[in-house]
Amino acid sequence: MNILEALAQRTVLFDGGLGSALIARGLPGGAGPERWNLERPEEVREMHRAYFEAGADVVQTNTFGCNLVKLESEGIGEREEEINAAGAELAVSIRPRDRFVSGDMGPTGKLLKPHGGLDPAAAEEAYARQALLLLGGGVDFLALETIFQLAEAEAALRGIRQVSEGPVLVSLTFERKKRGFFTIMGETPLQAAERLGELGVDILGANCTLTGDDMVALAEEFRGVTSLPLVMQPNAGQPRIPEDGGPPVYECDHEEYLANMMRMADAGINGLGGCCGTGPDLIAALRQRLDQR
Amino acid sequence: MSFSDGIFAEMTDVVVRCDREGATELARRALAEGVPPVRALEEGFAPGIRKVGDLWEEGEYFLPELLAAAEAMKAAMAIIEPALREGGGEAPAKRGTVVIGTIQGDIHDIGKSLVAAMLSAMGFNVIDLGPDVAYARFVDTVREQKADLLCMSALLTTTMSGQGDVIRMLEEQGLRQDVRVLVGGSPVDEAWSKRIGADGYAPNAMDAVRAAERVLGLEKAGPGGA
Repeated sequence: MNILEALAQRTVLFDGGLGSALIARGLPGGAGPERWNLERPEEVREMHRAYFEAGADVVQTNTFGCNLVKLESEGIGEREEEINAAGAELAVSIRPRDRFVSGDMGPTGKLLKPHGGLDPAAAEEAYARQALLLLGGGVDFLALETIFQLAEAEAALRGIRQVSEGPVLVSLTFERKKRGFFTIMGETPLQAAERLGELGVDILGANCTLTGDDMVALAEEFRGVTSLPLVMQPNAGQPRIPEDGGPPVYECDHEEYLANMMRMADAGINGLGGCCGTGPDLIAALRQRLDQR
Repeated sequence: MSFSDGIFAEMTDVVVRCDREGATELARRALAEGVPPVRALEEGFAPGIRKVGDLWEEGEYFLPELLAAAEAMKAAMAIIEPALREGGGEAPAKRGTVVIGTIQGDIHDIGKSLVAAMLSAMGFNVIDLGPDVAYARFVDTVREQKADLLCMSALLTTTMSGQGDVIRMLEEQGLRQDVRVLVGGSPVDEAWSKRIGADGYAPNAMDAVRAAERVLGLEKAGPGGA
């Protein structure tokens, strides 16, 4: 069964946050969590294992910041190949039967022309390269997430389609404004569905930034504008820096979080998972709710 | 030479419409018709940027409109500024020098660049050091450029502590009393700004302009200082 068949049959459970969970395990900030693919691979593998054991159907590779544009900004462009290959291997090597690994791809961190300086062709190439490395590492499908400009998602899709016809998830980040949900560029779920649909996206979704009721309302709006499978991965609360410094804490009522997730399942959302502030415990609790449904 | 008061509303409108060419044209026409340059800025173009900020807060405008309006404002400033200097004596060409950047270890660039665009549009002389700026480079640039304001962005909870480190370095090098410091970035808030001894914090680019004006004591004056 591939991911599209799974999404058509049942509510598929994605994993929770990776960066915030690794920070909780001692990842120093500043350094991207992806460096641990090379420096502390066992920690990353254990994190993936914890999510599979919690009952996640899909585990996402630790490769969010591993497109060439982003790696070059961090001065480690030359490690593109090994960091993506390691990222794929760490999840694929412990994938149980009938579960999935998604090759995770995040934003370049730059605005595309004409609003910023990044040439769409450069973004297209960076994502094509990363897609090839992740697919070569054995991931089951590709997942672009936390994207806040449609132009970047479009460039990524064009790049990915040069190297693969396989399933692609594009998950965007929206803010809630008075008139509804928009990316920071002012793009709506409807525009996302239309523009990315034209480029052959297989799965749409939203993650990060929003939480609680807002994510449920967005899920309902999104469901109304597309017949494609939808995956929602909200944050569990917003980060707050404790008085004594230290890693951020996410304040969130887990009962409420789970109730909102089930509302989304009832609204016809095909995949559910967590983003920042969620860990294996919350995913295990969600597994239980979905199984009892 | 005469002009009608309606020209100020036109100036506001041209910025709100993000019309760069229109802004250039209107600024030229205004000067030709005898509009005092200080009034063109204070009563015409600057209120346009403020209105754009309001529209953004209302959720009517988004990042592309903010950037385009800042470009229109800059186009108007390019015409008005030389006139301010000529007519000048008192009116300084710029409202102050701002050094801005994202702290070392942090490559987030977008929010910081928007703040830089807005401050520049509002008449500040902005020196944008980019992302991943070493602490010492902030301090050295403040000294070399005799900056009035230092703006530091941090998007990561782990890099935000660097904002406090730079402030301590400014103190150690005897520069702190000559420069105001603003901090920003998603994990940064008012409490954090107080804890590290900054002069203020701004949650977004429009508030950054207001905060800059506040800490530099420019609240009443429009661009050009007057």
